[in-house]
Amino acid sequence: MEAYIAQGMHGLAYGMVLFLVASGLTLVLGMMGVLNMAHVNFFMLSAYLGYQVVAWTGSFWLALLIAPLLTAGAGILMERFLLKKVHAFGPMAELILTMGVAFIISDGVKAVWGTQNLPLSPPGSLSVLVNIAGVQYPAYRLFLIGLAVAILLLMALVLYKTRLGMIVRAAVADAGMVDALGINVPLVFMTVFGAGTWMAGVAGVAIAPILTVSPGLAAQMGMDAFIVIIVGGFGSLGGAFLVAILCGLLSAFGVQFLPQYASVLLFVFMAVVLAIKPEGLFGEKES
Amino acid sequence: MKRNLIWTLWAAGVAAVALFPHLFGVYYANALILFAVWALFAVSLNLLLGFTGLLSFGHAMYFGTGAYGAALALNHIKGLSIVPAVIIGMIAAVILALLIAPLVVRVSGTAFAMLHLAFAQLLYVLALKLRSITGGEDGISIYPRPDLNIFGLLRIEMNDQNFFYFAVIVIAAALSFLWFFTKTPFGQIMVGMRDNSKRIGYLGFKVTYTKAVVYAVSGGFAGLAGAIYALLQSLISTNDAYSMVVSVYPIMMVMLGGVLSYFGPIVGAAFFALIDEWIGSGQFQQLLLKLLSLLLPSSLAQRVSDFFQFEMILGLILVLVTLYWPLGLAGFIALQRMRWQMRRVSGGPQRSAT
Repeated sequence: MEAYIAQGMHGLAYGMVLFLVASGLTLVLGMMGVLNMAHVNFFMLSAYLGYQVVAWTGSFWLALLIAPLLTAGAGILMERFLLKKVHAFGPMAELILTMGVAFIISDGVKAVWGTQNLPLSPPGSLSVLVNIAGVQYPAYRLFLIGLAVAILLLMALVLYKTRLGMIVRAAVADAGMVDALGINVPLVFMTVFGAGTWMAGVAGVAIAPILTVSPGLAAQMGMDAFIVIIVGGFGSLGGAFLVAILCGLLSAFGVQFLPQYASVLLFVFMAVVLAIKPEGLFGEKES
Repeated sequence: MKRNLIWTLWAAGVAAVALFPHLFGVYYANALILFAVWALFAVSLNLLLGFTGLLSFGHAMYFGTGAYGAALALNHIKGLSIVPAVIIGMIAAVILALLIAPLVVRVSGTAFAMLHLAFAQLLYVLALKLRSITGGEDGISIYPRPDLNIFGLLRIEMNDQNFFYFAVIVIAAALSFLWFFTKTPFGQIMVGMRDNSKRIGYLGFKVTYTKAVVYAVSGGFAGLAGAIYALLQSLISTNDAYSMVVSVYPIMMVMLGGVLSYFGPIVGAAFFALIDEWIGSGQFQQLLLKLLSLLLPSSLAQRVSDFFQFEMILGLILVLVTLYWPLGLAGFIALQRMRWQMRRVSGGPQRSAT
């Protein structure tokens, strides 16, 4: 029984982080119709930046604050100076452009930090075990879940309770109309892109103590994040949330029961969903 | 006059290819086969991207399945000749395409690309895990290369030189087949679907069915390219067959050469082969180091040139091409030709609106 709880908590923690990454991806996709292949590379970049900040200052909290902001800055630069320029050439060009950026980031990271695994230890106050329902559980993972929930609530608050959130939601539905109403849609795009990469950045630093920082980080998270947005339905935040948690649990229990094929399980799950609903669980039908 | 010129050019081209291994040796002959393999792979991708408007971000799965199909057949069927092995690889890819088609033909655009990424990754993971069949990371070797055996009547040993002719002939045949395929009425429906699939539907053509057929053809020829690749390398491993980079290669070739033309991807593949050779042999690094050390202190120059590894350059090319050359070389040439003609018509230099 204890094993179930522990694995369940693991899955929940991973699912939450997965959602932090996938939500930015799905928001940008829904709003701008751009699938940002470099999104998970920003996630990885942030983990490395976090490692660097810790190496210089020794403070994990500072890393958690600074690295995601730097990452968001890089994301905004990419949106402003690259993505915007190829927008006229259609979604294929944008997809290929982001793919190129993904390659540049992943090779750049290797050139700067090398290919070995870099450890990033959680702050001392969180590297203890806590007792939950009779299970000794690392406090850091609890903090991770808490952090993800806090960001989620913040995002929900902004999206559903503020004017900016209203504009964003309207732009997801019909960017042209919002533009026609006199709202500066490119600025909104840039904000959302920045926020999306910021969330990926937070996820990158936050998960680094668990997974260690390595060039494989992007591929590891990338596939899962893409599956989440495919299965959840493009542009659907609720779908992404549900599927991210489901994916986290599926991979956690998969590792326990079918260790050999845990990585295949998610793909099977995706294929089954798509065979029944090609637009994803909560996606809108293509017209 | 013009006709004669074209025939002479054709004859010269054929003669150049026929003499190629004698003139340049095995190393460059193999490089030419590799280029031909990439060209076929890129054209098969462009059948979807350029002609039908569907971007497959996981075409490696057909390339890899063709490669593994041929390699597995040769390892398990004793005395199999080279032609059936290649055909088995191709059929394996077609079967995979027909299995996946029902899932992907209903979507297009980004969703289509994403699904391919996911399925290609699934095959990558499977090929790694099913160690007993695929050999995992080590892959499977094809040694010795099988003979060409036509019903026991004709038996040709596949040494490097004969394999060169075999590969070039097979790929040239495949490329000409695809060229005629795009010229058939069916090929015109493909283009129509790219431009306005709804209208093609109203005209009474079955859009999803047509997509599935194009899809299977594209997958099959990617598989053929993969099978020849496996025979060329005498070894196929998961990373060479199914990794994401393999899916990106043909996209890059198509982008370099131009989406809207049949020959664009072939030119792109030539570019790519040259770049690959240039970087792979280390010449690019040396040149870069030399240039940089003129400007920077040597330790810094070394560091900066180390920065430009293969994937970095790949990424930079992808970004620069999409930014400044979105229609590739073919688009660039078409634009220049159009400007030239406009200048001739208006009788003076003129800035075009673009």
